[in-house]
Parts: sequence; structure tokens; C-alpha cells
Amino acid sequence: MSDKDSLDNMPVNEVASDSLVARFDGEVRSDTREGYEGYIVDANMLPEVASVLRDDLGYDYLSSVTGVDYIDDNHIEVVYHADQTTGGKGINLKVQLDRENPIVPTLVPIYPGADFQEREVFDMYGVKFDGHPNLRRILMWDGFHGYPLRKDWKEAYYEEDIKPFDSRWPGGGVKRSEADNPYGKNVNYPPGFDINNWTPETDDSLYESLEKTNSNGKSLHTDSIVVNIGPQHPSTHGVFRMVVALDGETITDLQPVMGYLHRNHEKIGERNTFLQNMPYTDRLDYLCSMSNNLGYALAVEQLMGADVPERAQYIRVLMAELTRISNHMWAIGFLLNDLGAFQTPALYAIRARELILDVFEATAGSRMMCNYMRFGGLARDFPDTLRGEDTVKFITDLVDNTLPKAIDELDHFLTANEIVRSRCIGVGVLPPDKAIAYSTGGPLLRASGVSYDLRTADPYSIYDRFDFNICTRSNGDVYDRYLVRVDEMRESTRICQQVMRDIPAEGEIFSGKPQYSVKVPAGESYGRVENPKGELGYYVVSTGKANPYRYHVRAPSFVNLTVLGELCKGHKVADAVVILGSIDIVLGEVDR
Amino acid sequence: MIGIVIEALIKSALIAFVLLTAFAYLTFAERKIAALMQVRKGPNRVGPWGLLQPAADGIKLIFKEEVMPAGADKVLFFLAPILTMIPAIVIVAVIPLGPDVELFGRTIRLGITDLNVGLLYILAIASVAVYGIVLAGWSSANKYALLGGLRASAQMISYEIALGLSIIGPIMLAGTLSLQGIVQAQQSSTWYVLWQPLGAMIFLIAGLAELNRAPFDMPEAEQELTAGYFTEYSGMKFSLFFMGEYIKMVAVSAIATTLFFGGYLGPFVDKLPWLGILYFAIKTVGFLFLMIWIRLTLPRLRYDQLMAFGWKVLLPLALFNVVITAVVIVFVG
Amino acid sequence: MLPNIPELVIFLVLAVIAVAAALGMLASSNAIYSALFLVVNFGVVATFYLLLGAPFIAMAQVTVYAGAIMVLFLFVIMLLGAEQMKPTSHNLLWQKPLSIVLIILLLSISFYVVLGQGVSTGSDLMQNTSGYGSPSAIGTLLFQKYLFPFEATSILLLAAMVGAVVLTGVRKQRRRIRKSRRL
Repeated sequence: MSDKDSLDNMPVNEVASDSLVARFDGEVRSDTREGYEGYIVDANMLPEVASVLRDDLGYDYLSSVTGVDYIDDNHIEVVYHADQTTGGKGINLKVQLDRENPIVPTLVPIYPGADFQEREVFDMYGVKFDGHPNLRRILMWDGFHGYPLRKDWKEAYYEEDIKPFDSRWPGGGVKRSEADNPYGKNVNYPPGFDINNWTPETDDSLYESLEKTNSNGKSLHTDSIVVNIGPQHPSTHGVFRMVVALDGETITDLQPVMGYLHRNHEKIGERNTFLQNMPYTDRLDYLCSMSNNLGYALAVEQLMGADVPERAQYIRVLMAELTRISNHMWAIGFLLNDLGAFQTPALYAIRARELILDVFEATAGSRMMCNYMRFGGLARDFPDTLRGEDTVKFITDLVDNTLPKAIDELDHFLTANEIVRSRCIGVGVLPPDKAIAYSTGGPLLRASGVSYDLRTADPYSIYDRFDFNICTRSNGDVYDRYLVRVDEMRESTRICQQVMRDIPAEGEIFSGKPQYSVKVPAGESYGRVENPKGELGYYVVSTGKANPYRYHVRAPSFVNLTVLGELCKGHKVADAVVILGSIDIVLGEVDR
Repeated sequence: MIGIVIEALIKSALIAFVLLTAFAYLTFAERKIAALMQVRKGPNRVGPWGLLQPAADGIKLIFKEEVMPAGADKVLFFLAPILTMIPAIVIVAVIPLGPDVELFGRTIRLGITDLNVGLLYILAIASVAVYGIVLAGWSSANKYALLGGLRASAQMISYEIALGLSIIGPIMLAGTLSLQGIVQAQQSSTWYVLWQPLGAMIFLIAGLAELNRAPFDMPEAEQELTAGYFTEYSGMKFSLFFMGEYIKMVAVSAIATTLFFGGYLGPFVDKLPWLGILYFAIKTVGFLFLMIWIRLTLPRLRYDQLMAFGWKVLLPLALFNVVITAVVIVFVG
Repeated sequence: MLPNIPELVIFLVLAVIAVAAALGMLASSNAIYSALFLVVNFGVVATFYLLLGAPFIAMAQVTVYAGAIMVLFLFVIMLLGAEQMKPTSHNLLWQKPLSIVLIILLLSISFYVVLGQGVSTGSDLMQNTSGYGSPSAIGTLLFQKYLFPFEATSILLLAAMVGAVVLTGVRKQRRRIRKSRRL
């Protein structure tokens, strides 16, 4: 019996536990708190543990990095979730730090994908990542005072920790925060700060830090131009900014700047009750509200141990896959816009999407902000008729005929187009090892040839019952990302067809009784789904109260942006726009 | 002498008026055609079928605030739209719109003038047309605008050569540089597009590039440079750029019609000379539709691909076309 | 023989513009403006050619000089960001006296030529030009009488072009090598 055999026979977590705890005796211990799992690692041992985790145990994909402020225990925890791209359950590591002076070694050298996420933790909790190459605020503005996700940080006009606020419920009455705003002090300033004698910080240091090839002075001196693409720009897909250093038209360096749409989703989420967050997840990636709902429902159901009725499971999968199709339609249409096509492909793509939105509207009541899933089921069942037709017939016809035809049409017109090919092939190439290292997800990862999809890697809901392929391509360029999206839409229609074939005609769609405030036992959970844009994860910590103690969103668009600068270097300005389009971001999710 | 001057003035005024109206309704047509091709309705609120939309747009633009960027070079910023507009209009001067007609006892040429170097005149005007764009890009003190201006100058110089070479075919066939002469030469042979299919193709492609129309709209590439060289413009100055672009579209279509598609020629023109204008208009509108169609269909090339295409494909092809034409004329006759 | 009056008026007006544009080009401290003044000057000179009955040369002047070459000038000025000229540095002080000497030399030579040849030659030239400026006449001259100089010039230009390409190409390659070494 070799070592390997014994490894193979054990559940993944136990292997990890044995090796990690045995190898780092005393420095790594299992998390034994009620409702928690994973390992607690000594801060200074973290890089070594992470190396072992990546190189020896095969956890090569760092999914998420976030923090939790346990103010009562006087420590801040940094939580890392890692996965194997070969599939299986993930593992989580935690580092407990002193609240006064939280310092932890950075994981960027081991997992470059930790870059933006560590910056976010720094931004929100003030945790200093020792050795991080670019530890600046990422979502808040540079002059912001305080660390907003710490439990002792109170926003202006703070009322209470938990909603609903007493001033509005149950007594009633409406109070608008806007009424407080115009002349009030709604910002916290650092001590001794004088707004009248303050000059805004400029981005000079950011501009200085950009790499400009022509500064050596030996060759013909041409002006290196620093251009801000965004925050107001037609092709940044929202208020997103790329600071680009150009040599002629060639990009020598690119830094994404984000946070213009930041509303501290997570802080608000920690004030809301568990259920109040459900409609709030719609606003993350507003093109995929159904699958956003699903991820959050999964996370909370894990904590509650709630069962989901059979029919509801099927409808959930149907909705998630329809969302994938509509998202990819949108992504492809607007990728073509980024290529300079004047709206025509985009509008053709949207035409098919409208029918999907009709289904959403008829079932959930809203086309985009669906707010459809509940903990333990769904809000409501299909209506009897949709657009004057029997609903089941309408959806069956949609997934059997209309959508495949629309996908074929897009494929037919776009895939072989000479200009599309010349603009996309070989542009923004992401090799597979880099794709994994940078924690990219979704079509971006699979176009690089990594067959990693949570629907098969760590199956959730009832995805194990369906027959579908994980679509991969090997070149990792913009064209392959486009092709992967086309393939995925085809696979999604296949799943939808199977759903419509197998779905029980009758049945419950909700277990338990509908209630305003659900009981969620104390503990942590990481619920995640394969969103159209990549892995969407919700890290939820409950203390048994009505609202989540911690509510973190691992947003695929945000993490996928980590690699943007790397992808764009050496390409032309026009390519940067296309590469951004091929990553497919939604700013509601990036900025949160 | 005085009579000639008055006649020229009246014709110029008329043509300028027609061009401006054509501009207004070309924008409308483009929006309407785009809508039809994109499963939409398009403008339909102002007047019947939205027909008064251009007027509404014009009024809106006139009353818009003119913004002058802080770092702009004021003189050139003001001058640039005018410099874009003027070449677009004066280029039409040499295009024959129809055969000579009798009116008020005078023989009147339909068309402002007929230079014996008409085609060279067109090339000369086309080559200075780039100044407006370049200066707009530079004077705006905006990096997008500057990049747009740089792209414009590089692109227009590159495609001008192919454009110039592509019209040598008709010149050699007709043996004259006068556009009236070229049209009349096509009466005896046939439309030159049959003799010069490659030349016509190159002319159209290079013409699109000269116009900065999609898929060659690098200087104003919305997705990259927001609006390129006219990013900072607003109000009437902004609309002057638009006017320039659309009138140039009309001009290029008219020139293509003249050189390769028999100009005003058509059945019964010798008996009813006024029909010539109609034929000419129909052919020109056909080209305009083609340009709009192309814009709505194709994505944009990348800047370096565009330059590579211009120098490595279009220019050799144009040279090849000239050589073949010359050989055929000398040996076949 | 008197030149006709309207033509003379046009000539005088244009001459003033030409001289003003030339002076403006010299005096302007902004390179872009200098270039534009030069374009105006080229345009006026093209109009002179038209007055002289040489439309082909006029159009060629506009296309080549005003249209192509000056646009390239502008392109380079904009690309290098060299619009604002620095105040003349002191080590170029010797240029001033030299320029005066050269101007005097140029003017005296031109006066000698113009006065020495006499005005009559000019009108002779004008009388002989019935087909002088037409494209076909120029083509015949270039490709028959002056074929050798014409071809020699074009080969010279081609050589210069190839040289420019080679020079810039070499520079780029070196840079690439340097980069790969650094890596």
C-alpha cells in the first residue's frame, strides 16, 4: 500500500487535516467552535501553510479572502477559502489577529488572486498585509477615515445595529435620511481635519507608479501619455476607471480603479435581517439576480439545515440556467459593441433575452430584480398562463426552439466574421496556470483550458442529476472566451430541456412556513454557485440573532478584475476595451 | 462675365442648400434605417413618422451651451469645425450633376464648374480636409481628442494614396481629368465599374477610411476614445463636425457615382436632360445606403490592423490595378 | 503689355497674405501655429500657380505640401509634444549674424536674377504657356524629356525611405534584445 492509495481513500478534508495539523503541530489547529469548520493558523506561519496547501495538497485555487470582526473576543479574523481545481470540497483557513494592530503576511506571492481581496480587507478592516505590493484602499476613497466593516464603526446618522429600526417599525412613520443630509455632517473626518483648508489628494502617486517603457531616454523620446479611461466612459460598463499608460497606442501599464458605486453592501447586509438581504442580492450583479438569490439561499440554508422541495429545486436550476443564457447573450452582444459594432449584434442578442425576462416577470413579478428564492424554497410557483399561453408550454417552447435558434443565429453571424476573428484571436491571452493563480472564474477560467465549474466540481442544488458538459477552450484569448460563452449557452439550454422534461408536475415549492424573520443557528457557512460570471460565494456568519453577524460577497466580477492589468499589457487601447468586455463585469457587483 | 458670376453664385447657393438639407435628412435616414435593422422603431415622435426630427435636433444644438475647455487653444478650437466643414462643401463644386440644359435662353451646366483638373482638385481638397480633425484633436487639450487627432492624420494620409491610385483607372480609360469628361466617356463605353471592379472596390474602401466611417472610424471610436477628436465639442461646433462628416459622405458617394457608375447617365437622358439629376441622386443615395448598412453591420478594425490593411493590402492592390489597366490599354486598346 | 486689373489686384492681395503667413511662421512661438502659417503660405502659392495658368502644379502643391507633408509635420509635433519652443539658448547666438548675411546674399541673388533677366522674359514665358501647365504636357515632359532625372529622383527617395525604415527597425530590435537580457 503506497501513501497515495491511502490518500485517495480518505475524504479530502481529512487528508488536509491530517497533513496540516500533523505538519504544523501547534501552529495549525482545527476550528472547533460550534458551527465552524476549517483551521486556525498562526499568522506568521500563514505563507508556509499556504505553500503546503497549494503545492502538496493541491489546493491551487484561492477562492476568497475576507475578514470578520469578532469584537467581543477582541480579534479580527481573516478567512481564506481555497479549492482544488480538480474538484471537491473547499477548505478554509482562518487567522486570528489583534484588533489594535492587525498584521498578517500577504498571500499575493503564493496566490496572486489575493491581491484585490486583501486590499478590500485592508480597506474594510484595517488589516495590514505585510509585503503586499500595493496596499491602498480599493473601494473607499483614499481620504476616508476609519474601517467601515469593523463593528465599532458607525455611519453618519447611525440609529441601531439591527433593522427594522425602532423609529420606523412597528410604530410606523417614514424618516428619510436625505432630510438629514444637505447641511449636516454626514461624513466622519479624521481628528483635527479642517474641510476648508483641505486640498483633495491627487492621483499623482498612482500615475507615477505606472510603468512607462520610454522613460529610459535612450531611444527616440515620445510622450508617454497617461489616460484615464473612465470613470465616465462609454465602454467601461459602468463607473469604472482604468488608468492607462500609453506609448503611442500601446499599453505599457494599466491599473483598475473602482469603488465609485460602492455602497457598502456588506455593512448594510449586516444590519438587515437574513430575509431582507434576499432582494438586496438582486442588486449585486443586476443581470443575474436569480442566481444571486440562489447562492445566498444556499448559504443560509446550509446554516439552517433547511430542505428544499423537489419541484422548487428544479425551478431553481431552470431559473439559474436561464439567467446564464441571458447573461451570456448580454455579454456577447456588448462584447461586439466594444469591438465597435454599432449596436446591431447587441440588440439581436437582447431580443432573445427579452423572452427569458418575460418568464422571470411572470413567475417572480419582476424582470430584473427578481427576489425569487427563499430559505427552503421559492416565493411562488409558475403562473398558469404566460403571454396568453400555458406557462409550461411557453417555457418548453422557449428552451426547445427559440433559444437554440437565437444562439445558432449569433453563432452563425459572429463566429466566422473576419473582423471579429482578427480583433479577438490572440488578444488578452491568459495561460491556464495564471488563470488559476489569479483566482479567475467562469468563462475567463474555462477559456484557458481549466475545466473548473462548481456545478460539477462541488455540485449544489440538484446539478448532479443532469447531463451536461463543462465547456472549455484552450487558447485563453478573447475569442475563446466568446466561444466558451456560446457553448455554455447551448449546454444551459440542454439543462433547461432536461428540467422541463423531469420536473414534477405538482408539488410544494416551499418548506416550512413563510415568516419575516427566520431562525438561523449560530455558525459560519460559505454558500457558492457557479454564476455566469464565475464563482459567486456568500460567506455568512450567524450568531443566532435575526441578522447575519457577517455577510460577505465573493463577487466574481471583482476578483476577475485582478488579472486585467496583466492581460492588457502590450496590447492597444482598443484591445483593453475588448479584454474588459470579454471578462464581463457588472459594476454593481465589483463595487458592492 | 457678370452673367457667369451670377449663375455660379446661384448654383453654389442652391447646392449648398441641397447639401445641408441632405445632411439633415441623412442623419434621420441613418437613424431610421438603423432602427429597422435593429428591430426597433427609431425616431417617430416629432412630426409624421418623425420627419421633423432633424429640425428639432438642429434647434436643440443651436441653443446648447458652447463649452470651451479650460486648457484649449481658443483660436484653433474655434477654427477646427469650420476647417472640417469647408472642404466637405467645396469638394462638390466639380461634380457634374447632369448634362447641359437650356434655361431662360441660356445653356446652363448642371454642376458648378468643370475644371480640366477636376479629379486633382478633389484629391487636393480631400488631402487638406484632415486639418480640421487634427486641429480639433490637438486644440481640445484632451487626451482622447489628441489620440483621435493622431489617428486621423495617420489614417487619412495612408488611405489617400490608395484613394488616389484607385481613380487613376478611370482617368486612363477616359483620358481626361475632368469629371464631365469621364462621365461622357462612360456614355460611349459602359460604366467604368465593369472595367474597373477592383478600382471601384478600392475607391469605396479607401473612401470609407477617408470619411472615418465604420469600420474605419478610428478617430472617433466611441468605445475607445469616447468621441475622439470632438470629445470636447458641444452645441453648434459639434454639429458642424457632424455636418462635415455627412456632407463628405454625400460627396464621396457622388464621386463614386461619377467615376464608376456613369454619373448622371441613364436611359432617355439625351432627350430629357433633367432626368440626369434624378439618376444621379438615385445612384448617390444607393451608396449612402451602402455606407449606413456597412456601419450597422461590421465591428471596427483595430488601429494597427487598419494601417496594415491600408499599406500592405490596399496600396499594392491599387498599384496592381493601375499596372493592369495600363497594360490592357496599351496592348488591347 | 499690361496685366489685366482684377488679376493684379488678386495677385497683390495674395502676395500680402503670403508674406504675412511666412513672417507669421517665423515669428510664432508655437510650433503648431508655425506649421499652420506654412500651410496658408503653401495655399497662397498654389493660387499663384493657378493665376499663372498651371493648375496641375497648383493642385500638386496643395495635395503634396499642404495635404501630406504638413500633416506629417503636425503629426510629429503632436506626437513628440513639442508644441512650445524653448527660448533660444545662448549657444546659438552665432546664428543671428549668419542669418543676416545669408538673407542679404539671397536677396541680392534674386534681384540679380530678376533684374538681369528683365521683365520681358517673364511675359515671353507667359505667352508660351498655352499648354504648359496642363497635366498631359507635364506628363510628356517628365516621362520623355526628363525621364532619367525623374527616375533617379524616385530611386533616391526610395533609398531614403528604405534607410529610414532600416534605421528605426534596428533601434527597435536592439531594445528588444536589451529587454530580453534584463529578463
